[in-house]
Amino acid sequence: MATVTTAPRMEMIPAQRQELWGWPAVVNFVLGGLGAGWYVVAVLAAGFERSPGVTAASWAAPVLVLAGFAAVAGEAGRPLRGPRVLTRLRTSWMSRELLAGIAFVLLVAADLAFPLRLHRAQAMVAAVLLALAQGFMVRRARGVTAWDVPLVPVLFLLSALLSGSGAHLLVGALAGRAPIPAVIGGTLLLIVVSFVVWARYLAWTSEDAYRRAVAPLREGRSAVLIDGAGYGLPLLLGLLALAAPPVAGALTALAGALLVAGQAYAKARLIRAAGRLRPITLAIPLSRRRSS
Amino acid sequence: MTRWGMAIDVRRCVGCQTCTIACKQEHGLPADVAWRFVADCEVGEYPDVRRVFLPMQCMHCAEPPCVPVCPTGASRQRDDGIVWVHYDACVGCGYCAMACPYQARHLIHTAAGYFEQPTPSEAAQAHPERHGVMTKCTFCKERVDDGLAHGLRPGVDPDATPMCAVACIAGAIVFGDLDEVSSCVSRLAADPRAQVLMPECGTEPRVYYLAD
Repeated sequence: MATVTTAPRMEMIPAQRQELWGWPAVVNFVLGGLGAGWYVVAVLAAGFERSPGVTAASWAAPVLVLAGFAAVAGEAGRPLRGPRVLTRLRTSWMSRELLAGIAFVLLVAADLAFPLRLHRAQAMVAAVLLALAQGFMVRRARGVTAWDVPLVPVLFLLSALLSGSGAHLLVGALAGRAPIPAVIGGTLLLIVVSFVVWARYLAWTSEDAYRRAVAPLREGRSAVLIDGAGYGLPLLLGLLALAAPPVAGALTALAGALLVAGQAYAKARLIRAAGRLRPITLAIPLSRRRSS
Repeated sequence: MTRWGMAIDVRRCVGCQTCTIACKQEHGLPADVAWRFVADCEVGEYPDVRRVFLPMQCMHCAEPPCVPVCPTGASRQRDDGIVWVHYDACVGCGYCAMACPYQARHLIHTAAGYFEQPTPSEAAQAHPERHGVMTKCTFCKERVDDGLAHGLRPGVDPDATPMCAVACIAGAIVFGDLDEVSSCVSRLAADPRAQVLMPECGTEPRVYYLAD
């Protein structure tokens, strides 16, 4: 005799890794965030004035952003239709990302041609919007368990600022400029805040599908490279740089390189390894066959 | 107001994949693309185990997450609820596929045939406009529209009904107007056992599943 006992929600089709957004998408997210964050940090560090750091960021950041767009355009099935991407600004974060990126490049170019604090401020706003748009774009991908999380836009913004801080410190040290303690201090604060948000993201929910989806971000080599090399070691190096000014240049250069690499690796893992499509579930009652 | 929908009786489905093949043939899909398929699922743990065949396709959601994310406006929803892709406007970015919780969208990279050279049938059914763009189940909107234009009733007359529902050997797939109270599909959708896939996503699918 068959007796229906339960009607649990069963996993009918397991989560599968998304294959549509590959390395070109990763390159776009990494370079876009890096370029945007670098410019913001450089302008803030200089107090909106012209400085060698701002000049370096002004030349490099638009190139990084455009390189990211070029990479992701190559992944599209019909890249020549790219300009159409600007037609749905009211609803699509991909449209908004492209608009913010174009605005950022144009405003930085305007500042290089006609240096004005206003241009720098506007370009900084565009850079922040670009980093946020990338985050919202990923967050609106409802089919991917690890991306459909409200914290993702904040995560992308902090990641952009962190990798941008890294680039700013690294290029400054390579150019022989003495690191400013306030900039190092700000970076250390950013590392701590970003790590707290990252940890909160990894533990966003205890749902089994989510835990499985983010497992590649918090276990094994990822934990060592993201948490250790991407957050912990730069924090330590930054503290050492504050304590030992004579070697601060070398320490901040290494910390900067680790910040850039750590955030790039984290984004790559988020898009590729943690990019798992939602498992398909259905409430199916199970039958228990009794012997009597 | 017409609101097209579908009810799939999981208890009737035998997993024969006739609907899968009928869809591929109707739409001339390349070898590696299927707009619908029947998943062969084993659920539960011993001794409470069941084998379930789950036909999967676009859910033609009332709140489709794939439509607003589209950066070109190629993903669209008609007034009758059918979600479709305007191939000439699609850039092939894949964003809609990332937004779909039901894995129902398929980017056609290359129109691979079953053999080295296209067969005469494949050549006759080639759809170059679909290369590099997103594709998906359309509820056979051409059949529905043509049928209506000829005075037929979709869901009742086979010539006006999606091919999967017509081809199903077990009568497991029922199509029709959810707003027509007397239609078979609306009665099935109102059945207490009817459910939608992953209601927590808030997409309000218009494909209902009847399980025990």
